[in-house]
Amino acid sequence: MDIEFRNISKQFQRVEGGVRQTFQALSPISFRIESGEFFAIVGPSGCGKSTLLNLLAGLEVPGSGEVLAAGKSVREPGPDRMVVFQEPGLMPWMTVRKNVEYGLKLRGLDRTERRERAMRYLRKVHLSRFADAMPHELSGGMRQRVSIARAFALEPKVLLMDEPFSALDSQTRDLLHDELQQIWQETRTTVLFVTHNLAEAVYLADRVLIMTAAPGSIKKIARVPYSHPREKNSTEITDAIRALHDDIKEEVNRVAAREMDPEWTPEDSKKRERDSFTLGEGI
Amino acid sequence: MSQGTLSPAQPAGNGGAGIYQNIATRLGFLLFLVFAWQVATMVTDIPSYLLPSPLEVASEFVRVVGDGTLFHSLRLSLSRMFIGYGISIVGGIAIGVLLARSWLVKQTLGSLFLSLQSLPSICWLPFALIWVGLNEGAVIAVIILGALFSIAITTESAIRNIPPIYTKVGRVLGARRVVLSRDVLFFAALPELIGGLKIGWTFAWRSLMAAELIRQDILGVGNLLETGRQFSNMPLMFAAIFTILAIGLTVDTLIFGNLERIVRRRWGLEK
Ligand SMILES: Nc1ncnc2c1ncn2[C@@H]1O[C@H](COP(=O)(O)OP(=O)(O)OP(=O)(O)O)[C@@H](O)[C@H]1O
Ligand SMILES: [Mg+2]
Repeated sequence: MDIEFRNISKQFQRVEGGVRQTFQALSPISFRIESGEFFAIVGPSGCGKSTLLNLLAGLEVPGSGEVLAAGKSVREPGPDRMVVFQEPGLMPWMTVRKNVEYGLKLRGLDRTERRERAMRYLRKVHLSRFADAMPHELSGGMRQRVSIARAFALEPKVLLMDEPFSALDSQTRDLLHDELQQIWQETRTTVLFVTHNLAEAVYLADRVLIMTAAPGSIKKIARVPYSHPREKNSTEITDAIRALHDDIKEEVNRVAAREMDPEWTPEDSKKRERDSFTLGEGI
Repeated sequence: MSQGTLSPAQPAGNGGAGIYQNIATRLGFLLFLVFAWQVATMVTDIPSYLLPSPLEVASEFVRVVGDGTLFHSLRLSLSRMFIGYGISIVGGIAIGVLLARSWLVKQTLGSLFLSLQSLPSICWLPFALIWVGLNEGAVIAVIILGALFSIAITTESAIRNIPPIYTKVGRVLGARRVVLSRDVLFFAALPELIGGLKIGWTFAWRSLMAAELIRQDILGVGNLLETGRQFSNMPLMFAAIFTILAIGLTVDTLIFGNLERIVRRRWGLEK
């Protein structure tokens, strides 16, 4: 399903020092996501990535403009758009399988259909053995896989992912990158993937949108012209990461300059970064 | 340390005692108390109207069970609880939902309830007697005034404390309004909700006992205490106290305690 963000802006009301203020989270922006595309959004903290994603999910309403999914204006959540959040958000009172089945039940599938479909998608994330476990018996990575299975089980036209792996350790993350890539290639679902990890975005996505610091706008949209499945530490990928690195760094520094004490300069972080930044790290 | 051996983890606090050992120890202590009490009444010459022996209390207990007094009183007290606490649950949860959902209700009724909650509900008895009359209704009103506010306020906090992720996930999966509340929000709030019902029960039970104690014109377990005093029947007073205690403990630990544990285990809030 193709997606269009058309002149989207978003304001929030905030209370600062007892005074109600309007905070501009997104300045008007427009872009399109092609059907079947893996589209990543990268930007510094607070730039409005989650807000953009929530607008497409139908969890927020835009201040101005429109989000179009397959040409239709988005007003509320719908079965064609599923979300994987940073927290797995599994319902702790249901078994793993019931969690996956719940959305299918709301969709009116009968018991056997639900069960069959839930198991099929649990197998895709290699967790069918844990179908009858309770969520609290699973590790963080396993829970996030259940959350991914729950979203895919509804066979949405678009999958929205909001920093789905950022709370996980790097080995688990590597594993989930591969699982996600594989399921995506099988289903060819359109994916909107939000992250602040540039390497992750470049490795997974067809195109990467880099956002400016708040109020969020488009700094650059870059194509990563390599076919899937990709090699994590290949020179193409590391070169592509390097090419975009300065863009994102500039915006991160801009946020930092706003938040840090006045004597802080970007050089402080650059030095440290040169020592520790290895390309492809944290993919 | 040369070898760095790891010893198996020891559960802290109870020295690794199992559940049966815990129960046995408590029972043993209880028996010891009763025994000490019996000995104390035998070796000293405290008169029975000040401190009866456990045997005297037991035989009085057998008497009031035998002639039906105790069960009759219990039935009256528990049916008052059933009505008063039942109304408090339904009303308290309904008001709690409104408090959580409506800014206006929160600012008006919310602040009023919060201040009323700090007033011991037995203070309302004189008003209830005048407004409702010298009947069951006045006692039930005191139960409701004891339990309703606390149930409403804990329900509100249970709803406010629902992590927003459940609402988001529920909505994305296709649950709306009533379905969202019934399938998702209710269960997400349940552990805290049960805590609120438990507190409400305690308030209700205490209010009822106070009301029954004060009112001489109605029967009930609280009233047995006052009857015992009027007839200088100290064993009856003890029998009544133990009955009141037993009901409190049964509901608190057996019903609410178990319910809370089952829910918290299933939710993964405790092992
Ligand atoms: N409901 C809200 N009320 C007020 N301000 C909000 C609300 N939601 C978001 N904001 C503000 O809007 C800005 C953008 O928020 P958003 O969550 O989209 O950022 P983000 O890019 O996802 O950040 P992060 O990387 O930290 O997740 C932030 O400054 C945030 O404080
Ligand atoms: Mg975010």
